[in-house]
Order: sequence, then structure tokens, then C-alpha cells
Amino acid sequence: MPAIAAMLERPQRWDAAFSPEMDDAAVEALMATAPFRDMDAGKFPKRTPLRDILRNDTRIVNFRKGEIVVRQGDYGTSAFLILRGAARVVLRPDLPPSVLGRQARGKKNIFRALAQLWNGRRPPESFRCADLMPDSRIGARLEQERVRVFLQDVPRVLDQHRTEEMTAGDFFGEIAALSRMPRTSTVFADSEETALLEIRWQGLRDLMKFDDALKAHITRIYRERALASYLNATPIFRRLDKVQLGRVAEAVEFATFGDYDWSGDYKRLAQAGTVRPEREPVIVTEGDYPNGVVLLRAGFGRVSQKAGGGERTLNYIGAGQSFGLREIAHNWRKGANPVNFQYSLRAIGYAHVLVVPVPVMEEIVLPSVPASELPALIETADEGGPSAAPAQRAPREAVGAELLEFLTENRFFNGTATMMIDLDRCTRCDDCVRACASTHDNNPRFLRHGPVGGRVMVANACMHCADPVCMIGCPTGAIHRESFGGQVVINPATCIGCRTCFNNCPYDAIRMVEVRDETGEFMVDEEMKPILKATKCDLCVENAGGPACQRACPHGALTRINLNRLDALAGWLQK
Amino acid sequence: MRRFRRQHLLGTTALIVAAIAALLLHRAFHRTLPDYAFVTGWILFAAMLVLAVYNARKKLPFLPLGNSESWLQIHIYLGFFTVLLFFIHLNFRLPRGWLDISLASLFALVAASGVAGLFLSRILPRRLSTRGGEVIHEQIAPLRHVLKTESEMIALGPAASSPAVAEFYTRRLAPFFAGPKNAWAHLFESRRPVHSLLAELEDLRRTGSEAERGALEKLADLVRRKDGLDYHRALQLTLKLWLFIHVPLTYALLIFTLAHIAIVFAFSGGAQ
Amino acid sequence: MNPANPGDNPAFEPGNYARPNQNWTCGRATEGQPCRAGPDAKGRCGAKAECRPRLEIKPGQTKGRWHCTRPEACESGPLPDGRCSRPVARCSPVPTLRLWRARASLAAVAAACAALLICLGVPPWRGRFISPGQLSQPHSSAAFAALASTNHLGGGCAACHVAGNSGPRGLMARAARARPGMGDFHGLLTASAAAPTRMDAACLECHAGKNFHHPAAPAISCVFCHKEHHGAAMAAATDAQCDFCHGNAATMSAVSAMPRIHHFATDHPEFRFIAEKWRDPDTLQFNHQLHLTSDSIPKLPGGRKLDCAFCHQPDASGAFMRPVNFERNCRVCHSLQFDPQTPELALPHGSVRFVTAFLHSLPAQYARLAKREGAADSDAFVQHKLAALRSQFGSGAELERRVFFSTATVGPEEQIGTLSGATRAVFPGCAYCHEVKAGPEGPEVTKPLMRERWLPDAKFSHASHAGIACARCHDAVESRDTADIILPPRETCLECHSPRGGVAHSCVECHNYHNPAPTVAAR
Repeated sequence: MPAIAAMLERPQRWDAAFSPEMDDAAVEALMATAPFRDMDAGKFPKRTPLRDILRNDTRIVNFRKGEIVVRQGDYGTSAFLILRGAARVVLRPDLPPSVLGRQARGKKNIFRALAQLWNGRRPPESFRCADLMPDSRIGARLEQERVRVFLQDVPRVLDQHRTEEMTAGDFFGEIAALSRMPRTSTVFADSEETALLEIRWQGLRDLMKFDDALKAHITRIYRERALASYLNATPIFRRLDKVQLGRVAEAVEFATFGDYDWSGDYKRLAQAGTVRPEREPVIVTEGDYPNGVVLLRAGFGRVSQKAGGGERTLNYIGAGQSFGLREIAHNWRKGANPVNFQYSLRAIGYAHVLVVPVPVMEEIVLPSVPASELPALIETADEGGPSAAPAQRAPREAVGAELLEFLTENRFFNGTATMMIDLDRCTRCDDCVRACASTHDNNPRFLRHGPVGGRVMVANACMHCADPVCMIGCPTGAIHRESFGGQVVINPATCIGCRTCFNNCPYDAIRMVEVRDETGEFMVDEEMKPILKATKCDLCVENAGGPACQRACPHGALTRINLNRLDALAGWLQK
Repeated sequence: MRRFRRQHLLGTTALIVAAIAALLLHRAFHRTLPDYAFVTGWILFAAMLVLAVYNARKKLPFLPLGNSESWLQIHIYLGFFTVLLFFIHLNFRLPRGWLDISLASLFALVAASGVAGLFLSRILPRRLSTRGGEVIHEQIAPLRHVLKTESEMIALGPAASSPAVAEFYTRRLAPFFAGPKNAWAHLFESRRPVHSLLAELEDLRRTGSEAERGALEKLADLVRRKDGLDYHRALQLTLKLWLFIHVPLTYALLIFTLAHIAIVFAFSGGAQ
Repeated sequence: MNPANPGDNPAFEPGNYARPNQNWTCGRATEGQPCRAGPDAKGRCGAKAECRPRLEIKPGQTKGRWHCTRPEACESGPLPDGRCSRPVARCSPVPTLRLWRARASLAAVAAACAALLICLGVPPWRGRFISPGQLSQPHSSAAFAALASTNHLGGGCAACHVAGNSGPRGLMARAARARPGMGDFHGLLTASAAAPTRMDAACLECHAGKNFHHPAAPAISCVFCHKEHHGAAMAAATDAQCDFCHGNAATMSAVSAMPRIHHFATDHPEFRFIAEKWRDPDTLQFNHQLHLTSDSIPKLPGGRKLDCAFCHQPDASGAFMRPVNFERNCRVCHSLQFDPQTPELALPHGSVRFVTAFLHSLPAQYARLAKREGAADSDAFVQHKLAALRSQFGSGAELERRVFFSTATVGPEEQIGTLSGATRAVFPGCAYCHEVKAGPEGPEVTKPLMRERWLPDAKFSHASHAGIACARCHDAVESRDTADIILPPRETCLECHSPRGGVAHSCVECHNYHNPAPTVAAR
């Protein structure tokens, strides 16, 4: 795949090892176990030898029986290999949300809604103790600075749910780690002495790259489990039958670009003022020969074009959008005069892409698409000079270059419900904040303040990101997506105040508050230390009318807007 | 802006149509309809209640009562219409009794403050966003305190060594940093006060030593930032203060209206 | 510091939100150092100590030890009783603008209530406060006040309004009992505006009865037409009030055959005396044209030409003309002299019997004349006169017949009077002007039927039309018959009394509603 550029190698790759405890002895022990025993260390390049990958990108974690390893719906950055003991994956039915540390929340009825009238006298951040009690079916213990959540009654779980045992040598969690998809099922340890090798995704990527067997294994399960349904839901493959889809799935390549935990990285870079698009990993380079259609499965890509000495951003694309279809469709129809990629595509932070090679496109996909649905032909140089396709140019013009750069630089495109305030209309009356407080037990859940681009302010309110970096690493599953609406919410009962999400969020949307009891006294733990909870906007998931802030704005200045695609924003700016 | 303009056009058209209809109805019925003043009075009262209930809507953001934007649009257009209803109820005559005069004055004040507020709400935000330096109103005082402390450190702190700067600071800058200043000038978009202050700073800087120059440049920067805060305070406060007339007087107006209704019925021909 | 970046702002701690929903802010927030507890909802400072020390009791110990729980334990440590040794200085929380606004609202409510309670609660102020406008002059006079204080309602507002003496609470009770009531929107919309109300009783305390101009007219409340509190002069009823019945087809068809009438200028019908071609039934013979235009009419004594004003003179009020009177207006020309030689002697006017008696006593009349004239020989004078009469008329009976029945001015039935001498007009006989019939007991003169007013219910004043020539309205020059009613048609009135003419043209300019006008009487 020549058009898919080499992955960016950062020199600081192993500045911080995954775990300091991985010493030589541990690495040696690993090298003696399958599958590393069977890997050909000679295939690994000098810069990333197998041993160093194991030393820096893996760690051994021990679990006791009943402890949850991964939760269904969580976002994770690592895959697991069972070294000793056993683990069980819960197949059907799913564990109830409260067992997974979550909160089942419905819309408030009229009486509960009206009861909020009396919230005004509640002390800030006050909770009833009962509201902070997690489900009794789970317990938590602190182990080596890590919080372990365990199932209190494993036999009962086995009784009520169909599970499958995994034993030493089995991999799990690799797809979620590589494709940044939520974990598809819950896995818990099934033996008191379960040792798992946790491989962070960078390590897994390298292992896969240089070991054919592992690559074949992961590619196979990826195609089996995740690809078919995804391709099925992609519009361009809509007309293919099952056999054709299978052939497409066989041919699809997938790759991950950029940095998985880009958020922390990004925060650091932004503070240093060195965010530059040129340093973003390139997925497709403008002018290269198009060899496949790029489907963005997760993350975001920046579409840019050379202009003068640098590049200018034309658009960004999010999950579900494709890149390069126009060029390939053009070449297929006008084979005599092929064009190259008209734009570059870079991963902003992180992108997981599928590439459908040209032969598959030309043989199977394109013939099934009616001519009317194919993208317009490209005016080539001899037909009037290269020009940006209208579809790509439109967002830049509708939104304005300045705002587009602002949104991209700050990576606000991630938000599906970004709070945007039109400062030309906002009278700074704070009705939005008060409405928010009224709907959240007298506590605002956002700050009417934030970066300003042009006349638009992006307030520090949870954007309910398409790629929720905050959810990576939550030890208890307290931060999660609502199963129905997909809002990112935090269950205060299981939040342990560890600041992981707070540190991960690049948009300052999460705030750690010291909770109080109903009399206004700060709650403390056994050591008399204040109890912290992560709080943020929940998009009024319990509120019958939707986000109170937006509905409370008298001047129509505030909106919760999906920035994954620019058309919504363009519409709002034009209103 | 397209939607707002369409909304505006729609609202204004509706308002004009309603006003014409009301005037035609007035012409048709003001002599023939029995108890015409009672009928217009009740309609006026109902309109006033709808206008006043917007405040209640704001206190119930968690109920699906329609969004505040629509409410405000209704509030504005109905507000203008209510002024017409008011004149119709008065039969286009000036009130003469004391109760009627106080009622009418309250109504006029509430309506006038509403119109003023509408204009302020449409003009000032744009000026604020053009000026930049967005800040939450409640944070202005703490931020000003930070600037004051910083400026004191530069001019009077242990590292300061220039009597000229210290003298200038205590004479000119200390009062400036002490609290909000030049509110009226900011409201009328006049930069003259801060320009004259900066000019004085510049005069001092030109004749100063190297160290003094550094200090004065930093002070000038702080003055500009303080001025930005003052600007935001002046405008944001104006955006809030008009409601101090509009809202309390609305309550007084409603109470007087209730008294008026009771008196009108107690003194009507049909009073028993 | 960049205010756009909350991270650089001391007020935007990562662990907290801006809370504009709260009524109080920490007193030290303005210095950028709000305490972590903050004030409570009632504005009490919530500051306590910096930490809550933890008691640690090791096994075997009885008392235990207090430990500081701050992230970095302080040097001083907790006090022996377990309190933190570093209490946070308390502040006086500051009310937010929002709370000030709430307070202002509360103050406005309180002020409004207080103002109302004072103005409605203190009797001398109440009336002045409530009154929607100046009362009419009669109702604000001392006489009215004296009158009102004697009736059962009492003085002041209570003279008319039942709630006039009620305080705030009484007002509310009265208001609640009013009919149609506060919630009775149906009643407000459908009740007849003219229906009598409770207030009529108050009017009728002084004003005697409501007299209606049409028996079929529904009972109409006084206040329907008479609007009080609109200044010193009570406003006259407007066309709209007449329109209430007269403009309503249903009402009119039920009550009379009159057409719907809205305004005089628009759809008022022609006056009936014209439309129905009324004739004056008077039996007197009078020719206006002759009297006004003929050259044969001699000048009046003093050389004045006979004109309208000589006969038609305004009455004391100036509104109407006095009836034409023979002695005042006719005799100056028509002097009733029957003896051409004796112009000093004239017949009496007014009664057939007197005339007959006069003729029968002619010798005595001449004798009295002779005495008046100072004639030397009274008997000779009488005989001479009687002889002259006899030679002209033949007999006394003929003289009497001619006096009553002759209408001829020429010919054999020649006038009995002459144009020469003291007389100006001929006197052929009574029948020249009057209708005279021969009755069984002698001639009978039909008494002239002088209609003083043709439109008795109409308001009219000649005085207010003084500047207008008579002929502009009364076309007397064209009238030769007594039967002519020389009043103007509606069209003539409309020249002025119409929007076009600019002179008042409402119904009540001419029409009276009450019939007759109610009188004021003390009971």
C-alpha cells in the first residue's frame, strides 16, 4: 500500500515504559512462552526489537477470581494475553449496567421534574449517601495502586449468563485496542491466580506488523467479528450481496494512525504552542496514485491541500466518511486519463481506517453503484486546471477558514453535542448556567467560558465526543455511554475520583468536585480526606425536554451542535 | 442570520397584522359591544400575564415548556402588541384618576424598560464580542484584584526601585486599579480616559531609566487589561441592570392591576 | 493571564464551576481567594477549619492521636481536642446581583401593597385615589353632597357606588359579588349594555323616574347614556347609544315600523311632515307670499316694510317664536273698521257674540264716540251716522250679514271699510280671514287652529340660528296657502348639520330621549 504512508515513529516512543516492573527476567520468561516463543525475532527491526516491545509495551497484571478485566462498552487501549489461570467472557445476556458500574437513568417524570424547584437551597455538590452506593453485586478493592472491581457472586453470574472460558495463550481485547471501538463484552478472571499480559496498543501494532502469524490471527478475527457488519452499514456497499461483501471483506486492509492517547499528548503540545498540522501522521498524500478508497472507521482525518508554501485545511472527516472515492470513480470511468489523489488526508490525533483496494472497487463495488450516485468527475489539468471539488470546498466557505482552523486546531470536531455560543447574540445572562443548575440538583455542569474563535465561543462543557478519550482508563466503568442516546455520563456512585477522565479530557469539560452531604458538610473517607467525584455535562439525559442550557437561551445564542460534520455548524452559523 | 431575519420578518408582519386587526375590531366594537372596557381589560390583563409568565418559565427550565428563545420572541412581539392593547383599553385617552395614572405610569415604565432592554440586548453583545477578552461577570472583580496586586508589585513591591514610578502609581494608577472605572465612557465607546492615562505613562516612560521603562511598559499592559475588564463590566452590568427596572416594576404593575380589577368590579354598575 | 483561558484564571479552579445560580458569593471571592466551603443558601459563611483531623487509636492505646488530614500535613497539627489549629477566617458573604434583583422585586411588591393599603385604607384619600376623573358639576356641588348625605347610601362616593365606603377588604368582597362577576366572561360579552344596573337605584334616589320616549323601549340603565367622571359637563349621549336600539334591525322591527337609523347625516329619513305631505289644518286664510312680496301691502307705521320679524317674534327664551296674535300683529293693518266714514270705530275681535252685540248697540257706540269726540249734539251725530250706514247697507241685518260673511273687496259686495283714512287694510268681513258659517243662532266663526310647533319633541332654538336669514330655512315667499307648512326639509338642515357642514349632527341635537325630562327632587 504505497499510498498509505508509513506510520510516524516518534523518537520518544519508549520514554515511558508501560510498567517499570517489566525487568529482564520477566521478559525472558515471556520469551519462553507462546506465542512469543514462536515469533521470529529477526523479523523485527533494530529500532523496535521484540524484547524491547515486550519490556516497554506490556505488563503483567494479576487478577483474583471474579475481578473484572474489561467491561462491555468501555474504551480500552490494550489487549490481553492470558498467561496463567483462566478468564471468562460473558456472552449472553449482557451483565446489567449497574454491575458494570453504570447507572440506568430514565427521563424524569413530571413530579420528579417539579421537585427540582426546591433544589435552589441545596448546598453545592451535595449527594445523598444512598446515591453514592454502588450496586451490591460488585465490590472494589485497591491493589497495588489499582482499583479492582470484582463480582461478589461469581456462581450466580455463571448461572444466569452464558459464558465462555478462556485459558492460557488466549488473546482478547485486541480489536477494541486497535480499532478504538468499545469492548464488545465483559471479561472477568475465573481463577484466583490469573495472570494476564496487558499489551498496550502500540506494542500490539508493532507485534502485528512484524509477526505474520499474529497479524493473520488478528486480521482474521477482525474480519470475522467486526468488518462484515460495518461494511454492511456503509452506504457504498449497500447494493452488494453477501458473497460480494465477503470478497470485499477479504480484501480490505486496516490500519491505525496517530496516537491512541492523543488527548494527553495534545494537551501538552497545545500548551507548548507547537500544534502543527504538518506533524500529524499522513494517511494519504496529495498527488499519490490512488490505490484504494479510505474509509474512516474511528477517529478523525484532516483533508488538506497544498497552498503556497504550506497546506490549508479544507475539511475534516469523521467516522463513517470516506476519502478518495471520487478519484477512484473518476479513474474507473475515464481510465485513459487517471488522476492522482487531489488532497492529503492526515490523522488528527488518531484515526483507524479501512482501505478498500482499487481492484475490488472496480470489480465489485463501483459496477453496483448507479452512475447518478457516483461522485462528479474531476476536471483534470488539460480540461481546465485542477480545482477543489465543491463538496470539499463548501465547508471551508460556509464556516469560514478562521473558524475551521479554530475548530481543527482545538479538535472540537470531536464533539457530537459541542456547546457553541454565538457571542454576537449572547447577553451573558447566565440563564443557561442557571437552567443547568436547576436540572442538576443546583449544580452547574459546565462553565460558560472557553476558547473563542471569531464570534463563537466553545464553552467548557462536555461535547459528548465521537471519540471519548475521557472513557479510556476509567477503572470502575463509572464514565460510560448511555446505552440509548450515547451520551457520555458519569455514575457518581462508582466514580472513585481518580482524575483519569479529568486528565484525559482535552477540553476541560470534566471537573473534579468535592462532594458534600445534604447538610453541606464535605464528605470524607476513612482517612478524613475529601471525596472527589468527576462531574460534567450529561446532556440532560434525564430531562424530558433535552439539554436545558440550549432551551434556556433567550436569544438563541447557545446551541448543542454536532461538529463531526460541518454541515450542522454551517447551518447554525447561517441562521 | 438568515433564520433570524426570517423570524424577524414573520414576527413583524404578524405584529402589524394583529395591530391592524385589533384597531379594526376596536372601531367595530368600541361603541357597540356591551362592557367593552371590561372585555379589552381582560384581554390586556391576559396579555400581561402571558408576558409576566416568561419569568416563571425561566424558573422551570427542566419542564418541556418550549424553549426560551421562542418565549422571548413571543414576549417581544406580544409586548409591543400589549402596548397597543393598553391604548385601546384607555380608548386613546389619557388617564385622569390617581390610581389610573399610577397604573399607566407603571405600565409605561415597564414597557419602556422592556424596549430599552431589547435594544441593549441586540447592541451590546456585538460590542462585547468585538472587543474580545471574554470574561464572566462574577470573575471581573477577582481578575481586577489580580491586576491590582500585580501592578502594586511592579510599582511598589520589593523589586521596585523608582520613586518616580511609585509616585505616579500612587497618584494616578492606584485609584484606577482600585475599582471599576470609566463605566459611562465605556458605555458610549469612548476610549479617552484610558488613552490619557496611557499617554501619561508614555510621557513618563520616555524620560525614564531602563528599569523604569520596563516597569512602565508592564504597567501599561496591566492598564490595558484592566481597561478591558472595565469595559466588560460596564456593558455586562448594563445588560443586567435594565432588568432591575423591568422585573420589579412588573410585580408592582401586576399588584396595581389586580387592585384596579377589584376596584372596577366593586364600583361597576352591577356591584351589589 | 489570558482571560480566555480559564486555566490561567484564579477564579476558574479546575475543581469548581462558576455558580451564578447561587444567591451568595464568598466575601473573599473578589480577592480571588474564595474558601472552599462557600456560603450557604441563606448567606451564612460556611468556612470552617482547613481540615478535619482524623483520630487514630493504635491497639492498646486508649486516647489515640489526632492526625492532620491535609494533603501536606501542617506543622502545627490538630489541637488536643481534635480541632484543626488553622481555622479559616470567616467572611461576610456578598449577595449576588441576582439576589439584589430579587430583593428589588420584593421591595417593589411591598411598596405597591403598602401604597395600595394606604390609599385605599384611609377614607379621605380613598375617593380621590380611586376616582377615575372629575365628576360633573351637579354631582360635585355642595347641594348634591347635602342631598346625598340624607339618603340611605351616604355621602361621598357612596352616594352612587355601593362600595364607596368600603376599605380594601370590603372592596374585594364587593368585587366578588358584582354581577356580571369577575369570572363571568359570557355575561360580559352577552349581557345587554343597556340593562338596568344596581346603580340606577342610586340615580333614582334623586331623579324622578326614568321616562322613556317609547313605551316599547326596554328599561335602559341611566349610566348607559350618562357617563360620569368625564369632566364638569356630563357628556351628552352619542349616536351610538341611540344606535343601540335604532341601529338594531331586530329591536326596531319588533317595536315599530321605523326604519333603522344610525346617523342624521346618513340614513335619517325625510321629516314626516314632508314625507307624508302634511297640511296645516288651520282655517284662517293667510297668504305669506302676498304679505311679503306684494306692493299693495302698505308700509307699517314708521315706514318699515312688513317682514317676518314683525309677526314672528321670539319668545322669552329665544328658542321659539311667540304665536301670531291678532291684536299684536294683524290689527295694525287689519283694524276691523266697518264704517268707512267713521274709522275711529272698529269691531271687536275674538267673539261672534261681542260683534253681534256691538252691531246691535251701534247707536250707543256712536253716542259714546260723540262724547269722546266732544261733539256738541250727540243725538244728531248718532242719527247722522246711522242714516249714512242705512243708506249704504239698506238695513242693519244686511250690515250684520256683510260684516260676517263678505269676502269681496270689489263689486257689489264691496268692502265695507276703505283704504283711506286711518285704516290700512280693507275689511270686507270676518270671512275674509276666518271661516264663517251660518248657524242656527247666527254666524259661527271657526276658531283658528294655530299650531305653535310642528315638531313638538324636537329641540330647536331660533336664537342659536339667529345669524341665518329666515328665508334660508322657511320658504315663506313661495307659500300662498295657509295649509303650507313652511318648515325646511332635512336637506336644508344637512347643509350645516352634517360632517360636511361641520355643525353638530348627533341625534340628541334635536331629539329628546326622556319624555318629559326627569326632574330632580329631594325625597
